[in-house]
Amino acid sequence: MPNVLVTHSDEPLGRRVVKLLWHDGRIGRIFALGTGAAPRAFDAFRAGTPPRLAYARIDLAKHRPMTDFFHSTQLREFEIDTLVHIPQHGVASEGPPLAGKVSARAAEARLVLQHALGARSIRSLVAVGSAFVYRLTPGNANHLSESSEIDLDPEASPGLRPWIDCDMLFHGEIGNPRLRVALLRLPTVVASGGYVYLHPGLAGRAGLRLRPLGFDPLCAVISDKDAARAVQAAVHTRAAGAFNLAGPEAIPLSVLGRWTRRPFVPVPGVLMRAAGASVGRFLQDPLRGALDGPHLRYGFTLDTSRARRELGFRPQYRIGLARAGDGGLHLETAHT
Amino acid sequence: MSDSDGILPGARGGKDKSEAEPSSLGSVLGSDPFEALSDPDPIDEWLDAAERFVEGGADSGAAQESASSGASASVRDFHRGRRGVDHRRGPTLSEVELPPPTGVVERLLDEDARRRVEALAEALPKDGTYDHFGLSAGALRSAFPLLYALYRLYFRVRSEGHEHIPAQGPAVMVANHGGLLPFDGAMAVVDVFLHTDPPRLARAIVDRWAGTLPFVNVFFARVGQVIGTHENFTALLDGGKLVLMFPEGMDGIRKPISQRYRLQHFHVGFIEHALRARAPIVPVAILGSDDQAPILYDIKPLARWLGLPVAPITPTFPWFGPLGLMPYPVSYRIVYGEPLPLHERFGPDAAEDTALVRALSSKVWRAVQRLIDRNH
Repeated sequence: MPNVLVTHSDEPLGRRVVKLLWHDGRIGRIFALGTGAAPRAFDAFRAGTPPRLAYARIDLAKHRPMTDFFHSTQLREFEIDTLVHIPQHGVASEGPPLAGKVSARAAEARLVLQHALGARSIRSLVAVGSAFVYRLTPGNANHLSESSEIDLDPEASPGLRPWIDCDMLFHGEIGNPRLRVALLRLPTVVASGGYVYLHPGLAGRAGLRLRPLGFDPLCAVISDKDAARAVQAAVHTRAAGAFNLAGPEAIPLSVLGRWTRRPFVPVPGVLMRAAGASVGRFLQDPLRGALDGPHLRYGFTLDTSRARRELGFRPQYRIGLARAGDGGLHLETAHT
Repeated sequence: MSDSDGILPGARGGKDKSEAEPSSLGSVLGSDPFEALSDPDPIDEWLDAAERFVEGGADSGAAQESASSGASASVRDFHRGRRGVDHRRGPTLSEVELPPPTGVVERLLDEDARRRVEALAEALPKDGTYDHFGLSAGALRSAFPLLYALYRLYFRVRSEGHEHIPAQGPAVMVANHGGLLPFDGAMAVVDVFLHTDPPRLARAIVDRWAGTLPFVNVFFARVGQVIGTHENFTALLDGGKLVLMFPEGMDGIRKPISQRYRLQHFHVGFIEHALRARAPIVPVAILGSDDQAPILYDIKPLARWLGLPVAPITPTFPWFGPLGLMPYPVSYRIVYGEPLPLHERFGPDAAEDTALVRALSSKVWRAVQRLIDRNH
């Protein structure tokens, strides 16, 4: 029965994973980490002696707190053998760069991997990544498999670069004989109520967005519930490697933006590039001014046959609009 | 197999194959350069030898299975068993309940065409949803009347050999390409759609460049056209789709008037995919496309500078501005040839053999060129 450590469990996707694992009778004890206060939803889970769930606040990007935590008595008592790393995906989560251009997300991934490799008890690492790491080529949409080319362009969009760095870090350990690494590449994650994660063009608060005129890329999507189920499946199997995951639907960016209250305004590509360059000059950082990117032009869908075959994962939730009590249409995920 | 001694010159790699292929095969000038060839076909002789090598050399279960069992049944079993794909068949025309026409545009279609659109729409994801490549039943329903008008009234398409189009399962239709703008692909798709029951939507493979064009990329995706990447091709055939392929690529549409109805060099990827998916190859000749916009001269340096595949001078372009790019109202004729069941002779493993793949590509090239010459 695996004992699981879950990172960033105070964020929406992490919370859902912890809840799912807690209700899973085949999971032993759970140690949840987060940067903020423990979510209220965990209060009930933390009752009992000894509690089946523990929560700790820790900055995963800092070396000293991480070292202290991984050598702590508290963690040793939980006899953790599986680590689930869910990178920070919240609003404006990048923060200041730590060293040079290394983002907080990549720094966290590096430390998590380092400690997972160093801790003798940990045999399994399940890392959540993004499917936006693939190099997007012209088309609307192209079908991508796990062997599709990763975008190694050093000038990739700043919203994507940390995900690519994280992917490469974990991918490098996939063949490790001591530590099983399962890397889950998720497309845009949507949740009931119009919440959306992991899409670089939809990150941040609700409101207007720009997209190049004449392009409306098809977006692969997955519900947050299915994403959590995929993590659960990866915890239970012994399969290693990278796995594409996606729900049954693919939705054009314009529709997805409308559904998640982030409607897109089409703007001629030339104007977008000019505006991006001006912003970059104003901020004295050309990358931060990059408004345009291949993810706003070229769509993709994912070949999920490997996850179906090796993880036994099949999506169970559909995404669509449903009429809520207030009479308005809201994005909902529904069990099929 | 990799021994180069047995490889025909025309089956070998090389940059400029447009002239090399017919000449290396001993073609002579005339309406059908292949009539003068000795029988049996030298490529067939080479392929016979290659087939014996494949069957005898390896325990290639798939290759032997394909040779010994019924072709169509084994193709279906292969897909169901190994890939877990069941080829969904749409309703036949007689099974479709035809609603009364709603809009003005829909009234332009005759009953048969409307019935076909309904049959196809039933087999596709419902309105408002999209398949993996962005195809939308709603967009297809809206675009079809325009394409139908072009088919019936503008290009006045005639066609024959529809019995060679597989009614179900994966297949690759290989056609010649020409005419600056890809109306030949659109007309072939409409023709297949109008002559199959249940109606099949051929998924045309388009160049990556089309994916970079504003609006065009969205329109192509919504009406079922797919960018030609390996993953896309594999996914289409694994899903039992009918794929329309122009292996000449851009070289086909930018060939000058002097090369009219002469096939250019074939890219060979389609052979690999057809073998792996065990799909038959149907040669198709599209006559008329090379006359719709004859290219007198291609200003290549200008095209490179502008990042375009071609900078043409035609009798009407650039003299009449963008209107000069409009295709002339030529009459199209589409001829479907007998399918080439290469997958029955060679198993999926044969796709790894570069020399064999080139030889098979040459064979398909000859089949399409022969079809063009016999009907032109």
